[in-house]
Amino acid sequence: MFFRLLRLVLILALVVVSAAPSFDAMAQAIGQGSAALIAEQQKAIQDLTAKTDDLEKKTSQEASDDAGLVDIRLQLEEMSRAALTSALAFRSRLSDINNRVEALGAPPAEGQPPEPEIVSSERGALASEKAEINAVIAGAQNLSIRINGLIEKIGTTRSELFRNVLTKRYELSDALSPQVFSDAQDEYANLYKAVSSWLGFALKFKFQAMLAATLMALALAAVLFVGGRRLFGRVFEADPSVEDPSYLSRLSVAFWSTLLPTLAVGAFLASTVFFFNYYNVLRGDIGVFLNALAAVIAVVFCVNRMTNAALEPRLPNWRLIPVETGPARWLVRLTTAMAVVIGFNNFLSVVNDKMGSPLSLTIARSFVATIIVGVILILMALLRPFKAPDGSWRPWPAWLRYTAIALGLFTIAAALFGYIGLAIFVSLQVVVTGTVLVTAYIGFLSAREIGEEGGFAGTSIGRWLSANSSYEDAALDQLGLVVSIAINVMIVLVFLPLILLMWGFQPGDIQAWAYKLATGITIGSVTISFLGILTGIVVFIIGYFLTRWFQGWLDGSVMARGKVDTGVRNSIRLAVGYAGVALAALVGISAAGIDLSNLALVAGALSLGIGFGLQNVVSNFVSGLILLAERPFKVGDWIVAGDISGTVKKISVRATEIETFQRQSVILPNSNLINNAVGNWTHRNKLGRVDIRVGVAYGSDVKQVHDILLEIARGHPLVLKNPEPFVLFTNFGLAALEFEIRVFLADVLNGATVQNDIRFTVLDRFDREHIEIPSQPRAVVEPKKHEAWPIDDDKIEVEFAAQERAKAEAAAEAQRLAKAGRKARKPDPG
Amino acid sequence: MPCEMQQRRWKHRYCKMWKSVVAAVAFLAVGGSAFAASAVNKDAETRTLIVTEGGGKTELALAAGETVEFCPNGCFVTLPNGDLEALTGSETVEISGGVARIK
Repeated sequence: MFFRLLRLVLILALVVVSAAPSFDAMAQAIGQGSAALIAEQQKAIQDLTAKTDDLEKKTSQEASDDAGLVDIRLQLEEMSRAALTSALAFRSRLSDINNRVEALGAPPAEGQPPEPEIVSSERGALASEKAEINAVIAGAQNLSIRINGLIEKIGTTRSELFRNVLTKRYELSDALSPQVFSDAQDEYANLYKAVSSWLGFALKFKFQAMLAATLMALALAAVLFVGGRRLFGRVFEADPSVEDPSYLSRLSVAFWSTLLPTLAVGAFLASTVFFFNYYNVLRGDIGVFLNALAAVIAVVFCVNRMTNAALEPRLPNWRLIPVETGPARWLVRLTTAMAVVIGFNNFLSVVNDKMGSPLSLTIARSFVATIIVGVILILMALLRPFKAPDGSWRPWPAWLRYTAIALGLFTIAAALFGYIGLAIFVSLQVVVTGTVLVTAYIGFLSAREIGEEGGFAGTSIGRWLSANSSYEDAALDQLGLVVSIAINVMIVLVFLPLILLMWGFQPGDIQAWAYKLATGITIGSVTISFLGILTGIVVFIIGYFLTRWFQGWLDGSVMARGKVDTGVRNSIRLAVGYAGVALAALVGISAAGIDLSNLALVAGALSLGIGFGLQNVVSNFVSGLILLAERPFKVGDWIVAGDISGTVKKISVRATEIETFQRQSVILPNSNLINNAVGNWTHRNKLGRVDIRVGVAYGSDVKQVHDILLEIARGHPLVLKNPEPFVLFTNFGLAALEFEIRVFLADVLNGATVQNDIRFTVLDRFDREHIEIPSQPRAVVEPKKHEAWPIDDDKIEVEFAAQERAKAEAAAEAQRLAKAGRKARKPDPG
Repeated sequence: MPCEMQQRRWKHRYCKMWKSVVAAVAFLAVGGSAFAASAVNKDAETRTLIVTEGGGKTELALAAGETVEFCPNGCFVTLPNGDLEALTGSETVEISGGVARIK
């Protein structure tokens, strides 16, 4: 922005300073630079157009070659991008021109004095240059439209081609005639001849090179295998002595024991082919055959390793899919057989292609292969892999069994009726999709395992986290849940597109769907955008955490150091918390793309109903806000509200939690606290008065009583000297002269202790001074008789010794407890 | 500074919270990277862009003050003043006073 401004200023300065002729020269120079650019891009676009023509011709020529069409489409996409790029080259020049035009200002309207010659000529030059550029860009645009049209056409051609393959019917009677056997024999003989002649040539002339290539490939594979075993040996091998390995360790063993050997074999095959090529050992078709053979071997090996790892026929404890041992063995065999059949069929198709064998041979080969795959599928479905508790064998779940049987029957039927293309397609899809699904299923199983209680803590990451961070078990568990959900989502995100791709959808389609899903699905007039909703949620979460953090920082650092009163601190903390969460919610909603004005409309319509329905809630909410602002009591205060007396534990937005002295939590709606009188013993300070009533018998010396009571009151250490304790002669009662001791305490919460102490002392002193406290007995209590005087001296001694011992022990215990720092609780004031 | 050391200075949970915030911000940074061009109409009246994307042209009418995401994988766009421009799909087109600027 700044530079653009600078540039503008510079240009203006130049215009002002330079004289007319020099300016003309400069404009020309700019024009020439631009002309070069235009010419260059025009040429580029012409080239692209020529190429497009070429490709269009090719498209109509190769209309039956699927791979060729894909290739053409890729080239076209590349060219479409190129057209866009060449149009993009003009951007800076265009913006320069626009800036300049803007700087020149609007042309003078009619009736106004004409502008100087220079300005109008420059305006004209700029306009014509812009028109030229626009023409070039328009060319690029048209080219782009044409290319995209071609791409679409290729798409339709391809799907038509695909449909043709699937629906084409071959006459089986031709293909399966005895003629086929002789064809097959011929072809086999041809293949044999080609291979043997090549072998003879290679052994004779290239023996050393071949040996070297093989040895090098072997060495590479060995290094990979041995190195991998060294590195991952611990996780690589299933340990038969482990009774019950966790699912995750089973999974990692399965993974590594599939990956490493497959990698080693793949490296061996790839390097063999590479070195054979490098030493020029290969010749003609043999290279293609070798490639195909290598691919087949790699795939069969991988499938075999994978099924072995997942089903572990030898180690039931390490099985990933819980089937019995016998069926597991059979499953491995059948899967391997299927892979062999399909791989071999593919290899033969390559051979057929290269040898130019008759169509009937291809049909016969595919026919046999599909029938075998169908039969294997049905056999797999008929396996009984599970054992019921009573020992009987149970089949696969019905849906799986019937699907597999149906697919197998369908393949066989398609082949029998001559729809070989369809049969091949189905059998291939069954194998590939089945593999993908089984892998996804294993992923789901492991996600479930992680999500289970304690599952995540058992993984190596969980162990590392619990060792290196202060996450507790509960937090780890929650993390495990999140991880398991994430794995599930990942599986869907990875495998769904994979399966769609397998079934012939284009990556572009999937991308477009994903884009549409993310940016918005329109239902009626409402647009739902998952990305928007996700963004909203994320923004809210961030806002929430920021609020919490700010709250904590304000409370813990600022206000704690500022020695702010706890009640105020609490109020501010709560208010900040509510405001922050509300703000985060608002920002989140607008980030989610939900228009708040729409919401306001709805809120307006519903507010009356909501107002009536939520009257209490709203009133409590508002009361809560008032409580926070007015602070008639704070957390920790001793309040009395109606019948409830206790300590305030928590003031929240709807209700206040009060703990009575019996330790009962009472949740009091805030409106009660606002609308009714609330007594607060500790509002400004904890100073409080405690009254103790004492009655003495008529005839006592009241002066002496008064003095004694006052003395007792003054003598207590917790009683304040100012305000002075006071003894009030309250009443000439029916049975007694009534006195009241009034003492002030610094902390009224100590009231119970003080009352207790004073009453005990009063009783003691009255006893000593022979002052009677009259009472009106309502119940006659017989004083309990002491035990009769014992006669047996020995027994008394033993008993006395036991008592002494018990006392000593009690004292020791008390001392121990006191040392342990146990402080006796203060009794409650109430 | 590891969390254990911060414990002395702050209450521990804020430290954990920081981690969550950092993770969330990182997530947003990854997820929030725009993958479409956007057009903003800052004028008080409706403006129209003609977008050529794929094999066809569409008119994109922008109401006053509206922001629209379009053109995820590159396109050509005809601006209100008749200029033709190419977009790669990461730009912002800002229309004010009938003049479009590409940023």
